[in-house]
Amino acid sequence: MRGMKPSVTVQLPSLLEPVTGGVRKLAASGESLREVLDDLVAREPRLKPHLFNEAGEFRRHVLCFHNGTNTRWLEGLDVPVADGDTILFMQAVSGG
Amino acid sequence: MDVRLMVGTSKGGFWVTGKGRREWAVEGPFFKGWKVTAGLRLAGGGWMAAVASDIYGPAIFLSEDGEEWEQVADGPAYPDGDDRRLRQIWTLRENRGTVYAGVQDAGLFTSGDGGRSWEPVPGLNDHETRGGWMPGAGGLCCHAVLFDHTNPDRVWCGISAVGVFRTDDGGATWIPRNRGVYWAHEDEEFKEIGHCVHAMAQDPDDPDRIFRQDHSGMYRSGDGAESWAKNERGLPSGFGFPIVMDDSTRYLFAVPLEADQYRLPAGGAIQVFRSTDRGDSWHSASAGLPSEHSYGGVLRGAMAVDNLIPGGVYMGTTSGTLHVSRDLGENWKNLPVMLPRILHVSAWVE
Repeated sequence: MRGMKPSVTVQLPSLLEPVTGGVRKLAASGESLREVLDDLVAREPRLKPHLFNEAGEFRRHVLCFHNGTNTRWLEGLDVPVADGDTILFMQAVSGG
Repeated sequence: MDVRLMVGTSKGGFWVTGKGRREWAVEGPFFKGWKVTAGLRLAGGGWMAAVASDIYGPAIFLSEDGEEWEQVADGPAYPDGDDRRLRQIWTLRENRGTVYAGVQDAGLFTSGDGGRSWEPVPGLNDHETRGGWMPGAGGLCCHAVLFDHTNPDRVWCGISAVGVFRTDDGGATWIPRNRGVYWAHEDEEFKEIGHCVHAMAQDPDDPDRIFRQDHSGMYRSGDGAESWAKNERGLPSGFGFPIVMDDSTRYLFAVPLEADQYRLPAGGAIQVFRSTDRGDSWHSASAGLPSEHSYGGVLRGAMAVDNLIPGGVYMGTTSGTLHVSRDLGENWKNLPVMLPRILHVSAWVE
């Protein structure tokens, strides 16, 4: 709809269920990835310290995928998003 | 009397309830997958728990009943853009309506509304010696907070590998108080820091009498931490982590470990040492504890007393075993559990 920002679906890992009261799928909107993430933490401020560090960067072991693309591979977060896009958060699995 | 233990582990929290302190039941885990690093029953009712994740960082949760938890939105935090990171909340203490959270990276935060919102304590967090604060093996953490029940303006805190600080003006200014304690590492500029306090206990009869399990030994102060002297008579080792005092008898309890490079129970037998004379002498009080092939240590936050008569003593190990005594350490019972690494034990009378 004209004037409305694209709405995307954000999926969270199960470990963050206590933070959101058991919710793992949320909606957020924005013209870019950065705007969507800002909207996400505005809607769920309790998520912010778990996804981002004090410098505003993703925590070291937090992975964020936009439509399957690891956002760490992008030049930045000023990437356009479209209605129906998905953002998936995962924790980096390393070690054994 | 029934006792409820909050047991925080590296993978979740557990409620361990002792009916008459004889029949024990375990519930949990809650915060499955998260470290539960500190817990508190608030004077005004309800529970507070500190959790942390190596991936997602720390948070404070509140609960009315210990079952349904809600994360505090405005928890302790260093400012955006700060080079300090809030990694873990190591201790929660309440005094006169204010809750104190000691955190890593080392600092202190307070809440005057039952944990809903938090303020930093800049006099400590931005201390002039901060440039010389070096993390110990457990990280750069503020893990101990003591109060003076005769003087609301006087508070002590302990920071690993830095030392003990005291404020006499309600937290505006803090002065390192470590005279008589060996250095863990000597700072080139700030000679009053570099002391590795592991835990502290306080005499309820005299808030200036403080007991200190330090990296460099067991110490006692009789003058509010102005000066310290070793009191290790009877201890097999001065090294260890927890120290607690039973408020009814003034008995002290500690768990010595073999020298700092090993950090293991000597000879594979975990032993509790008890002092019945305010630290003048120590004796083993370990009957019933595993006497061989037992190599789990007890971390600084993993020992507690219930202050009942006779006093109950509780401890969890890094091996996930949980041990209870309902008679001041005369006899121990090993509960039939194998939990994740135990980080926190607190005891609450129901």
